[in-house]
Amino acid sequence: MSNDNNAQYHDDVVLRLIQFSIFWAIVAMAAGVYLSAELIWPTIDFSQPWLSFGRLRPLHTNGIIFGFGVSALMATAFYSVQRTCHVPLFGHRLAWFCCYGWQLVVLLGGLSLLAGWTSSKEYAELEWPFDIAIAVLWISFGVVFFGTLAIRKIRPIYISNWFYGALIIVIAMLHIVNNLALPVTLDKSYSLYAGAQDAVVQWWYGHNAVGFLLTGGFLGMVYYFLPKQANRPIWSYRLSIVSFWAFTYTYIWAGPHHLHYSAIPEWVQSLGMVMSIILLAPSWATMINGIMTVSGAWQKLRTDPALKFIVLALAFYGLATFEGPMMAIRSVNVVSHFTDWTIGHVHSGALGWNAMITYGTFYFLIPRMAGRELYSTRLANIHFWLALAGTMLYIMAMWAAGVSQGLLWLSIDETGELGFSFTDIMSSMAPYYGLRLIAGLIFLTGTILMAWNLYMTMRGNKPVRVTPPAVDPMYEVKA
Amino acid sequence: MVERTLANLPVRALFRPKDAFEALAGSDPSPANVLLRYSVWLLILPPLFSWIGASIFGWRLGATEPLYLSQLTLVRISVGYFLALLFGFVSTALISQWMAKTYGASESLGRHFAMVTIVGSPLALASVAHLVPDVFFNVLVLIPTMIWSMYLLYSGIAVALETVPERGMLMASSLVGWLLVAAVSLLGLSMGLWVMGIGPLLGV
Amino acid sequence: MSGMSLHKKLEEHSGLLIFGILAVSAVGGLVQILPILFQESLETPVGATAPYSAVALTGRDIYIREGCSVCHTQQIRPLIAEVERYGPYSRSGEFVYDRPFLWGSKRTGPDLHRIGGKYSDIWHREHLLNPRSVVPDSIMPGYPWLAETPAADVGDIQKKMRVLQSLGHPYSDASIEEAESELEGLTEMDALIVYLQQLGTAMPQGELP
Repeated sequence: MSNDNNAQYHDDVVLRLIQFSIFWAIVAMAAGVYLSAELIWPTIDFSQPWLSFGRLRPLHTNGIIFGFGVSALMATAFYSVQRTCHVPLFGHRLAWFCCYGWQLVVLLGGLSLLAGWTSSKEYAELEWPFDIAIAVLWISFGVVFFGTLAIRKIRPIYISNWFYGALIIVIAMLHIVNNLALPVTLDKSYSLYAGAQDAVVQWWYGHNAVGFLLTGGFLGMVYYFLPKQANRPIWSYRLSIVSFWAFTYTYIWAGPHHLHYSAIPEWVQSLGMVMSIILLAPSWATMINGIMTVSGAWQKLRTDPALKFIVLALAFYGLATFEGPMMAIRSVNVVSHFTDWTIGHVHSGALGWNAMITYGTFYFLIPRMAGRELYSTRLANIHFWLALAGTMLYIMAMWAAGVSQGLLWLSIDETGELGFSFTDIMSSMAPYYGLRLIAGLIFLTGTILMAWNLYMTMRGNKPVRVTPPAVDPMYEVKA
Repeated sequence: MVERTLANLPVRALFRPKDAFEALAGSDPSPANVLLRYSVWLLILPPLFSWIGASIFGWRLGATEPLYLSQLTLVRISVGYFLALLFGFVSTALISQWMAKTYGASESLGRHFAMVTIVGSPLALASVAHLVPDVFFNVLVLIPTMIWSMYLLYSGIAVALETVPERGMLMASSLVGWLLVAAVSLLGLSMGLWVMGIGPLLGV
Repeated sequence: MSGMSLHKKLEEHSGLLIFGILAVSAVGGLVQILPILFQESLETPVGATAPYSAVALTGRDIYIREGCSVCHTQQIRPLIAEVERYGPYSRSGEFVYDRPFLWGSKRTGPDLHRIGGKYSDIWHREHLLNPRSVVPDSIMPGYPWLAETPAADVGDIQKKMRVLQSLGHPYSDASIEEAESELEGLTEMDALIVYLQQLGTAMPQGELP
């Protein structure tokens, strides 16, 4: 352990990934705002195919998940795996390849979606050339990550790495299986599965992309950055281990709740429902672990605006992981399915949980990398309130819209006739869509404030060079 | 002391919330007293307004035709609504007290009852919007009120329960988490009951 | 004790950790998906369900390209109100030639599984060009460009059918030979309307709830 002791952590690639992540956040959220406006004023696509709702919507979802989300996950995984292993990244060049390759896929993939290249499977819309590129980049991500684990100097593998590891392995499995298709041309392929079978495979993918990317991956972020920021160990390490395995085992079963009352076999639907409800336990175990860790570190809140975001993110994580299992119950799902309630649920997760936890982490990381204080704590506080107000407004508007839709669609009178026409119900949603547009604008404004704040913090500086500290001999890997 | 603490609680909660929170600090009112003299009367308002509104105008879920429900259904829904609110109120206060130790806050149960009453009173009074049972109108009135209530919670909790502001902020966030879950549970529960046939007629 | 020592092993060996995660996360998928993939009833067509004609297939690919499934479901649930609104509920056997499935997850617009035959071709044309000309409150975007592009430009139809043939769709070689001539003179909009008009019509409707 003597000669490479001077090797420093590779943080340049982390910084670049954070920059890309914020860039995609703004682009994809702006697309979302535009989409919400299109639902109020349907002619603002100006008859341009690429601006049309059906093509722009996949850009919004893929931009958030793969542009904003995955870039942030790669950045934080690279940052934390070095520090929990006390070695610089394995395959420094490969890490750069992941970074730029991924951005190229998101950029070209996004353009291809606007051009109408799509498999139409949700969150897996990109056509086969991109699927192959994603698989290659994802495996490279895995090589860098697990390679770093393999050369680590600390014997135990810290819990955050488990979640990042599960992210890499499970998403690889889901991505490859779900996207199996026979190509026709560069922009067109036919799925290897048909009809009901395709539906089951797709929602096994769709639900677990949410599970292992948007939940598990970001839990990796929590398990490293939350104790770091709070400057105290995780409240219960044992609880985190138990909830990790329970989470990994249970989540994968829950997909069929997306297909309640559909033409897939009943037993699959029931199994999906039961497992979704069980899933609440490991999900909340993590939340309690997080809240108890921060709660002992309240002194830090005075100086650290980042921690506020993390605390709030945990509250919304609690909401989203409760709401999900609830909506998986058939008698709730019968009303909520296909409505804007689903959209609200997704955003309580995406805005309240994913975005907030990421913002908190960025507010923590950038000042440390810049080696100076955050440019403006006041701006960060304003951002906090904008993020909270935007998220609340969004989910409440969608609750009201979704419940109205669900009830009115199903409502019948005493003679058994339908109570309301579809068109009447649809056109009455405009006010809620208006509120949602405002909510989106508020949230986007906050994100732009953060981008400015972090840019001013980092401006002109290179990431501070950090050398791995000496390893406690008790935990050292024996030669 | 009790008189000074609680006098005109809902009114002061509306116009001088800071005063109300400061008055609470150091006090130890009896929970039953707070509940019966103030909270219950506020909790009864939303179901009352919604019952009157729905009887006269029918529910307007947005589509053109209002949805009329039978008196029996309406009474059932209103009573259910009241019980849900009462349950939500009491459980929030109890959870708040349960959390108090973690956040170094006062553990006086009466004070938690009073604090939740203050935070909830704008919402209870704004439920006058239920008189016009148009969902969007209610959303428009209640969301800003909700954000105001959240502001009251964040700003008042540390004062009323005598803890440091940072710990108050953490405690407020934990309570917001609980309240969001409670709200969504109420939604889910209503859906379940409606699908089972209690409430509007659904073709399921 | 043995649990803890097993765990210590996992915690200290990245290879075991990878294997553990893979094994634990694969169980659910194997138990749920494998039986589904081998369940014959899900691959057996019902009624007159047949592979899409060259024109309908082209229309379907346009439906996919424009992201229609983002706002329209093709999945009628077995609920009284839903059957009343849209028609007989969807059967798995109706989708056996759907690659990919287009059930959708959001009903911003109405369900389309049994839209076939409900409106005239002229209505569909007007509606696709400018939805508000026939449904004043509609929030659907217009698709005027579909009327300007020949259906033959959507992609190599013979190659598409051959790919589907290799996936088991019973196309005759003759039908593949004729495919190009069937598309001749049609616009993308024509093809899309043909697809919409045959949606959900394969079931003997009179006998079904």
